[in-house]
Amino acid sequence: MKPEAPLLEVDGLRVVIGAPGGAAEALRDVSFCIARGETLALVGESGSGKTMTAHAIMRLLPPPARITDGRIVLHSRAEGEIDLTALRDKAPVLRRVRGGLVSMIFQEPMTALSPVHTVGNQVMEAIRVHRDLDRADARRRTLAMLEKVGIPDSARRFDCYPHELSGGLRQRAIIAMALVCRPELLIADEPTAALDLTIQAQILGLIRAFQREIGCSVLLITHDFGIVAHVADRVAVLHLGEVVESGKTREILCRPRHPYTRALLSAQPGRRTRTG
Amino acid sequence: MNHAVQPLLSVRGLCKSFPPSSRGFFRPRGSSFQAVDDVSFTLAAGETLGLVGESGAGKTTLARCLLRVFPPSAGQALFRLPGGRIVDLARISARELKSVRPHVQMVFQDPFGSLNPRMTVREIVGEPLAVHGLARGTERDDRVADSLRRVGLMPEWRSRYPHAFSGGQRQRIAIARALIMRPSLLVLDEATASLDISVQAQVLELLQELKHEFRLTYLFVTHNLDVVQNICNRVAVMRRGRIVELAPTAQIFAAPARAYTRILLSAVPSTDPDVPMNFAVGDELARLDAQDGP
Repeated sequence: MKPEAPLLEVDGLRVVIGAPGGAAEALRDVSFCIARGETLALVGESGSGKTMTAHAIMRLLPPPARITDGRIVLHSRAEGEIDLTALRDKAPVLRRVRGGLVSMIFQEPMTALSPVHTVGNQVMEAIRVHRDLDRADARRRTLAMLEKVGIPDSARRFDCYPHELSGGLRQRAIIAMALVCRPELLIADEPTAALDLTIQAQILGLIRAFQREIGCSVLLITHDFGIVAHVADRVAVLHLGEVVESGKTREILCRPRHPYTRALLSAQPGRRTRTG
Repeated sequence: MNHAVQPLLSVRGLCKSFPPSSRGFFRPRGSSFQAVDDVSFTLAAGETLGLVGESGAGKTTLARCLLRVFPPSAGQALFRLPGGRIVDLARISARELKSVRPHVQMVFQDPFGSLNPRMTVREIVGEPLAVHGLARGTERDDRVADSLRRVGLMPEWRSRYPHAFSGGQRQRIAIARALIMRPSLLVLDEATASLDISVQAQVLELLQELKHEFRLTYLFVTHNLDVVQNICNRVAVMRRGRIVELAPTAQIFAAPARAYTRILLSAVPSTDPDVPMNFAVGDELARLDAQDGP
């Protein structure tokens, strides 16, 4: 049997910022792929290009950043093969990709939600844009989703504004928003960086449970190797816009080959394992 | 040595409650909020005590009570000055407080928010000297240069503004500012939380060096248990304004006595894939609440 194509293939991606001549390379020949149902962690420090990669996949790069080389191909079950790099900015298929096939959880739970719309309406908007449901049905699904991500008393919380919820609940609402359309790929950009340890564990557990339920792949962006160890199947280490090392999680953690990976791992405070 | 016998800081029954919000938006009107609830501990000279807990546990409020950002509602915080005189930080007058402040300094979490963008590094680091009228002119400038050197920054950089520095460098500037008064107690409130891990490791290393060089005592407020394990001698675990457990670091990590501490530790993702991570902390905390009452 022919092995199934990976869900996402990023091949030789190059992103530059600025005008030709004075341009700086933000990503250099970045390649990786994500299989169906798999979690790939993209690890690196600030400025290494993790978020830039995620935004390139979503075609959300802010000008003057632009893709100059490489391909990003999504092998969608629902829509077939889509070359994301070839799409025009306003291509209709891009609307189906964003929030439909691929959705994203951002780091800051406060800035990712609109402060002037209720939490319920924001989750419902995702359904209304991507699914042909009437208001009542969409509302029912939203309530069910809020309940599922662990927001108690969802009927009341539906009408809350983001500032009325704690950080943990806000992040749950964002997860509800990202997963309510059952995407094939979830991009989680430091989803727990702003949260307490105990909340972090719950949020990561929630993402994992959903991943199993709907069978989506996850691209997890993080700088925490502890999270990587417990959530990711494979890891790609980014340094100054380049993937310096990638492989199975256990191999990277226990037998890092690249000096940068080793340096990152040894900087992890309270590291209880020894390499080698 | 006298130092070993008498603690540098001895906190007894410290409480801080905040009056109910006038608008009653989050909490029902009429009840005050007990942020710090009957906290007692001692801090020996030369020790590093970690104060850990979730957000809202009262860590920062406790630290701020000790610095008298606001006065505690009850309790004592007996602080031993370098001369041996003991003052109660919870009760001293504003004027006396100014003479005590040089000995208790603080480093804040956000190096972008804690440095005035319109002041040069020279002004920022030299400000404590100016406030206390201690050194002026070239003497002040020399002390600023010296303080910068001690934290690993080039003294030549002192006419630059904070925007010219990275997060790690800014945190070094904040440390230089705290150190210039030669304090005996340094309160570090999530001082490395906003830094990249490799930078965090460097700043932690710097803090260890400075501790020995200046015989400092640290109160290290953090939610990062990995950092605690690296640098603290003892750890106090706070929850809902109270210290639920206080023990030597090795003991906290190897044999935590309290259920809450165990749950907190189980939520730490270890970089060892064989150490399991507990994703069900939410349920366990709920069970704990059901047992203990809120």
